[in-house]
Amino acid sequence: MKANRGHIDERTLSAFSKLTFPQILDKRAKQWGSTSIAIREKAYGIWETYTWHEYLNYVKQAALGLLSLGLKRGECVGIITDNHPEWLFSELAAQAVGASTLNLYTSSVTKELTFGLNRIQAAYVVAQDQEQVDKLLEARKELSHCRRIIYIDRTGMRTYQDNPWLLSFAELLELGKALQKKNPGRFEKELRKGKASDLALMIMTSGTTGLPKFAMLSYENIIDMARKWLETSPIGLGDNWISITPPAWIVDQMWGMGLALCGGMVMNFPETPETVTEDLREVGPAIMITSSRFWEDLASKIRVKISDSGIIKRGLYHLCQRIGETAVDRESKKQPIPRWLGFFVRVASGIIYRSLLDRVGCSQLRAAITGGHPISPDVIRFFRAIGLNLKQAYGLTEASGVFQVQPDGEVKPETVGKSLPRTEVRIADDQEVLVASPSNFIGYYEDPTETAATLADGWLHTGDAGYFDADGHLVIIGRKQEIMRTKEGEAFSPDFIETRLKFSPYIKEAVIFGEGMPHIAAMINIDMETSGDWAKDRQIPYTTYTDLSQQSAVEELICNEVRAVNQRLPGHMKVHKMLLLYKLLDADDQELTRTGKVRRKYVYEQYNNLIEAMYGDQRDIAVKGNVRYRDGTVGIIETTVRILTLA
Amino acid sequence: MKKDILLQINNISVVYSDVIQILKGVSLAIGEKQIVSLLGSNGAGKTTTLRAISGLLKPENGAVTEGTIEYEGRSIQNAPPETITRLGIIQVLEGRPPFEHLTVEENLRVGTAARSGRFSKQDLDLVYHYFPPLLARKRSLAGYCSGGELQMLAIGRALMAKPRLLLLDEPSLGLAPLLVKEIFEIVGRINKEQGTTIVVVEQNASMALQLAHYGYVMENGKIVMEGAASELRENPDVKEFYLGIASSGTLKTYKDVKAYKRRKRWL
Repeated sequence: MKANRGHIDERTLSAFSKLTFPQILDKRAKQWGSTSIAIREKAYGIWETYTWHEYLNYVKQAALGLLSLGLKRGECVGIITDNHPEWLFSELAAQAVGASTLNLYTSSVTKELTFGLNRIQAAYVVAQDQEQVDKLLEARKELSHCRRIIYIDRTGMRTYQDNPWLLSFAELLELGKALQKKNPGRFEKELRKGKASDLALMIMTSGTTGLPKFAMLSYENIIDMARKWLETSPIGLGDNWISITPPAWIVDQMWGMGLALCGGMVMNFPETPETVTEDLREVGPAIMITSSRFWEDLASKIRVKISDSGIIKRGLYHLCQRIGETAVDRESKKQPIPRWLGFFVRVASGIIYRSLLDRVGCSQLRAAITGGHPISPDVIRFFRAIGLNLKQAYGLTEASGVFQVQPDGEVKPETVGKSLPRTEVRIADDQEVLVASPSNFIGYYEDPTETAATLADGWLHTGDAGYFDADGHLVIIGRKQEIMRTKEGEAFSPDFIETRLKFSPYIKEAVIFGEGMPHIAAMINIDMETSGDWAKDRQIPYTTYTDLSQQSAVEELICNEVRAVNQRLPGHMKVHKMLLLYKLLDADDQELTRTGKVRRKYVYEQYNNLIEAMYGDQRDIAVKGNVRYRDGTVGIIETTVRILTLA
Repeated sequence: MKKDILLQINNISVVYSDVIQILKGVSLAIGEKQIVSLLGSNGAGKTTTLRAISGLLKPENGAVTEGTIEYEGRSIQNAPPETITRLGIIQVLEGRPPFEHLTVEENLRVGTAARSGRFSKQDLDLVYHYFPPLLARKRSLAGYCSGGELQMLAIGRALMAKPRLLLLDEPSLGLAPLLVKEIFEIVGRINKEQGTTIVVVEQNASMALQLAHYGYVMENGKIVMEGAASELRENPDVKEFYLGIASSGTLKTYKDVKAYKRRKRWL
């Protein structure tokens, strides 16, 4: 589908590649002023809009505000915000005066925040609300490099007013206005000093293996990435982007910043993370890139809703799903779709697909992209069968985001597709995926050894193992470091097995063990919602997560799910033993990264006794686990875990 | 902990007026001669759970749509309240409404209406034994009683029915702290001396957890946590959200109240 593509011409785009983000914003605002909408935000149930002109104005005031506080060129500003326009304003404001930014997760605990802010020696911090300010106040002694904290939401901040370290965002804008009056040309003067090769922002990489690293990206890097997408995808002016991934993640930096500015897209901010499903439907975005988890959750939700619906709806749905899957399978094998099938697909689309997609807010999507973590091919097949153009993509922070994506009409569920323009991908001798592209990052902040290792010989070493299939599509096997070998020396990728296990709607998370062991074992987190509904339908009483996970019927259910997956796995990759963990893996307990990836090392350490038990003869193991609360308290949970054998 | 189960609730869903779903798969077990407390914020579904047990959903146009409630092995979900009352399940309603134009003693005698066996003086003496203030006011109109007396009257009236399972809905509502303490002590004595099983729904979590043997925490129509009362008292989430104790172990003051809530873990 060709949308408004005509609007974004090559000339404008290549002009943009010599600019910084704030300079592009300035151009956009001059071009469209107050006629077009740049940002929408839902507040108290109403969508508020900002035009490009207003957008620039806020950035200008905030930038001048930071200047009058004393922000210097080359310094760094920490930003701890949720998805709100103030994130854009403060990030662009800092960049406009030559500072770089580091976004941190609002869900991070104090220790994680201080680690990041210390590392970059943040001069100022923009914080979302009282919760974030409290964390910063707690670590005030370690944050001597932070000159001021600027908070956005004033709720509950009255008692903090006499603290000279704090300043509200509104006060910052006032400072900016005052400076503007005194020195009218100041902002423009600062703006002109920016160069495309400057450091724009840093991103803390997720650190599944150890301490996080700080990837430095320049304007050039991200704008080049944005151009690649604008050249190849059916997106453009006035199209909607919904900002739901945390700003601390590359996705919303590459799109919300890079693509939205270059492509003139409208940024939409939902009211809260909890209202995303409804807000999504109102926005009807043109394109979405989210984590595989989002799509996996959506698939389970749809399945549960369907199984709850009446017999006629359910029957129709299953029929249509089968038609869709037949068509998708033929398409992926590049077989022609016979006319009768094409007809059925159109009928199915009319009666089921369209309304189903509309219900989940995906009817306007021209492309839906999943990244961050390998997704089960079954999920892709599921969505493509109901007519959603879901493609798997691959990228990483160090490459400014997603550079490998399945082209339209060539979607193969197992692969991550082909490279975008000006991107060269090659496989090293040890199967590592290497990338060369102008979007490759500058390096890790103050870490020349890691930088040299990652960017050796002009190639970005991704750390992932992969290969090209017969059609030239890239297939990712898993993290190179994480490829394990059983006692017999047979290699397997835990990711590969976990992804397949996680497609079961009842399994939320799975961790595979087996390094140097005679067989493979799995630790599984059940999905409370779907497994709970399942138990409810069968009149199995349960109360809490722990209780549900220890119900023998639920154990049997999960065993059968794993057995089904086992049938499709090669011999040495079959899961022999497993257990259902009594709690969900959680970022607060350091078991997951803030982006939701499993941190194996920590999980191994934490559950060492359980893992060992899966290689012994024990059946019931008494455990005592720790639960960390956001305020630093540690609770203890005592329970028994059963080891299940899949014969 | 829960030895002999007197009442077992099995995955019940309760819907009011055919559309408003309040309980979404609640399961709980009440042990014989135990005091079980149900905690939760407003609208969590505590009262609805009690009403589902006592059959009083019907006047509110509600019904148990899924699941079972088993009382001594017999299914009682959606049974008429009078049948359930005759089985020995008595609910003391929130707000303790009396028959205002009857005297205290007449009110108490109403309690025997649904039970088998004749009314006797001993029953009254038993109630007066537990609630001496009622004896002093036995001839006055219930409409003129104080809040504390009314609560005593309501519990006393329930006692007249010789309940095996007593359901108390917010007995501490609107009462002075000392009075609350007194009433809770009496409830504890009734449980010990009469062997009455008691389910108590309370906002006053610290009182309820001191009294109860076992507890359930409800949120949004689901059970999020269960455990022996002594365990629940030590749980950081219960402490933070129900007992008002800050992490340092001291009582919270208004100055410490935040505009945000700490993330709950319920583990």
